[in-house]
Amino acid sequence: MEPAGFRLVIRPDLWGLRGVTGVEGMISRKPRKRDPEGRRLAWWLLSPSVVLILAVVIGPLLFAFYLSFHEAEPMVGGINTRFVGLANYVYYFAQSDLFWPAVRVTVYFTVVSLLVELVLGIAMALVLNAKFVGRSFVRAIILLPWALPTVVNARMWEWIFAGSKFGALNGLMKVLHVFPPTYDQVWLGFDVPFESVPVLGPFLKWMGVTRALNIIIIADTWKVTPLVVLLVLAGLQTIPESLYEAATVDGAGFWRKLTRITLPLLKPVLLVVLVLRTMELFRVFDIIYIIMQYSIRVLGVLTYEVGMKFLHFGSGAALSFLVALFILGLALVYIRLFYTEEGY
Amino acid sequence: MRKVILLALCVLALVASCGLGASAAETLNVIYMAQAGYQPDDIRDMADLFEFLTDTKVNITFVKYDEQHEKIVASAVAPVATYDVILLDLIWTAEFASKKMVIPLDDKITPEMRKDIAPAIMDAFVFDGKTWAMPFLANFQLFFYNADMIKKAGFSGPPKTLEEMVEQMRVMKAKNIVKYPWTDSWNQKEGLVCEYVWLTGAFGGDTFDANGNPIFNEGPGVKALEFMVSLLKEGLANPKCLTNDETAAKDDFISGNAAFTTNWTFQYALMNDPAVSKVVGAGQMGLIPVAKAVADKTKTASVSGFQGAAIMANSRKKDLAWKYVRFITSPLVQRSYLQEMPVWTSVQKSAYANMMDKTMAIKSEEISAVHHRPKVPPYPEVSSILQRYIHEALQMKMEPKAALDKAAEEIKAVLARK
Repeated sequence: MEPAGFRLVIRPDLWGLRGVTGVEGMISRKPRKRDPEGRRLAWWLLSPSVVLILAVVIGPLLFAFYLSFHEAEPMVGGINTRFVGLANYVYYFAQSDLFWPAVRVTVYFTVVSLLVELVLGIAMALVLNAKFVGRSFVRAIILLPWALPTVVNARMWEWIFAGSKFGALNGLMKVLHVFPPTYDQVWLGFDVPFESVPVLGPFLKWMGVTRALNIIIIADTWKVTPLVVLLVLAGLQTIPESLYEAATVDGAGFWRKLTRITLPLLKPVLLVVLVLRTMELFRVFDIIYIIMQYSIRVLGVLTYEVGMKFLHFGSGAALSFLVALFILGLALVYIRLFYTEEGY
Repeated sequence: MRKVILLALCVLALVASCGLGASAAETLNVIYMAQAGYQPDDIRDMADLFEFLTDTKVNITFVKYDEQHEKIVASAVAPVATYDVILLDLIWTAEFASKKMVIPLDDKITPEMRKDIAPAIMDAFVFDGKTWAMPFLANFQLFFYNADMIKKAGFSGPPKTLEEMVEQMRVMKAKNIVKYPWTDSWNQKEGLVCEYVWLTGAFGGDTFDANGNPIFNEGPGVKALEFMVSLLKEGLANPKCLTNDETAAKDDFISGNAAFTTNWTFQYALMNDPAVSKVVGAGQMGLIPVAKAVADKTKTASVSGFQGAAIMANSRKKDLAWKYVRFITSPLVQRSYLQEMPVWTSVQKSAYANMMDKTMAIKSEEISAVHHRPKVPPYPEVSSILQRYIHEALQMKMEPKAALDKAAEEIKAVLARK
């Protein structure tokens, strides 16, 4: 029977302590059921992390939650607060002209990015899971975009998509004779895709979709897909080869193996990918703000504008919690849809 | 007992060493933007000289303009200011003054000093009857034109009115001299409001009245936005303007991709730098043209982008901070750094300044015709609303009048809330 509570287990053989006078006897001593010394040591060891987490995560989080029920404005030497109850939340849900358009455009960005990242991520992971010459090199190099800081990525794509003759993509199109020498495409333009197509056009306009938004999705996808590849690849490597062999004997082709073996067994990994990426995509700020400033007002940009530019700390905090609520809701849906305890 | 004595001696030694440290050079913390205006090297030069003269250490934090406001607010809410001296954009005057984040300088600015600074510049930093910053940067917009393109199109000189400019642009487009004759910074940022303010001025009006109430949705303001939209509709303005900031608009012009633009004073030096410009010689600077209907009343119109040096209310070195402010804004220093327009009339008119800067006369005329953005405490919010609706109109998603009406309605609600 394992003792209840914390138990510190040190293996002398792993720590190179075997044979060190006293140490072996000291640490090989069987922990007592209740070990006050061990507990104290554990708390001492944990305390820096606990203090740090309380100071930089829990504390600010609680303070932001407190602010979200207040009208809070900066003043010299502090913040002036006035309790307003749920007014900040009610304002954004029922009165603001900017909140729901921001939700729609964020949902579009999240859903489309997720779909593209998943399709590309799974496809690339399948390729990297196959055996070919130079696989290790390709696996290593594919991670490079993910290693780039978002700011660098944003600035790089901004130059690629620059709407002048300095734009790298415009330059490439001219070299390839796709564009005439005098033509410069404004890639980050505000025209709505398929605007003249009935139903689809008005729907995309209602969602706040512009060409610039789609272009930013490409830029963000380029950076983040390697992460999805990495996670899916890790999942693929846990699927026993024998399953595919048995399926081959039964006459299953590529699609059948993909839909009947690979995807169902990838469910736990896909759940992780979906939750992780949804969280990141729904609170997107940096790449959109750097390239488009306030022209594409996703929830992250709106929150920043209200909180940090207008200095309405209370409203900004309420918006942050609303974003967190949306993410929580989506995560619960994913868990319900994808959670599985299936084994092989 | 010996231990106690030893401890007491240690404490005394520590206190003494702290005391000695305090008698050494004092440190002053300053925040400045590393973007337009005087460049960081110039500002460092000025600080070095001040350090030499006063035995003070000056730490300067350079940030992008966009980050300046947040950093100043963060400094203001701290118990002790992170920065003693800040660069205050005129649009923050009302906000920082109403929140008492900076101190009024009326008892420090002498009548002689006031007399030598044009009211158009000094008034930018006045709110509630008090002056909250000492003018430092007299930035404003000017007109830039490509003389070669004008000549090729068959015209003798730059346009005097907006109508003449449109006519010249049509000919340039028809003759394939340049695809988009007009470029500007119309992305959804503060620059868009600046462009709109001078254009409203060029149609003979202002965006807000003297009490800070929106009036842009009538007469000149509507004409200004209709003019911007018409340039896009006719293909005279580059559609890329909608994503351009001031730097991108400058790049369009100095790479020879536009015949006309307006921009801040910084463009002049870059336009004439052969290392970056393809229009050296052809690129000229002049007065911004106005609508024909108001040309008999005013020759030009511009927008102010003045910045002043202000002292934080929670600074513990206010006297030293004023010494520094007085130094960097002094006529002597400004005369030595003519990369920017001096704020002092005496320097502007001096033979030395006019010899060193041949455009001083044009600048002096333009600066006297500047229009200010409104001085209202919630300016960032007001500006954001205006930017959003002007941009909607430029994207052709709303009619100019309807967009401005909606903007005025929302701005009135924001102003009423305060």
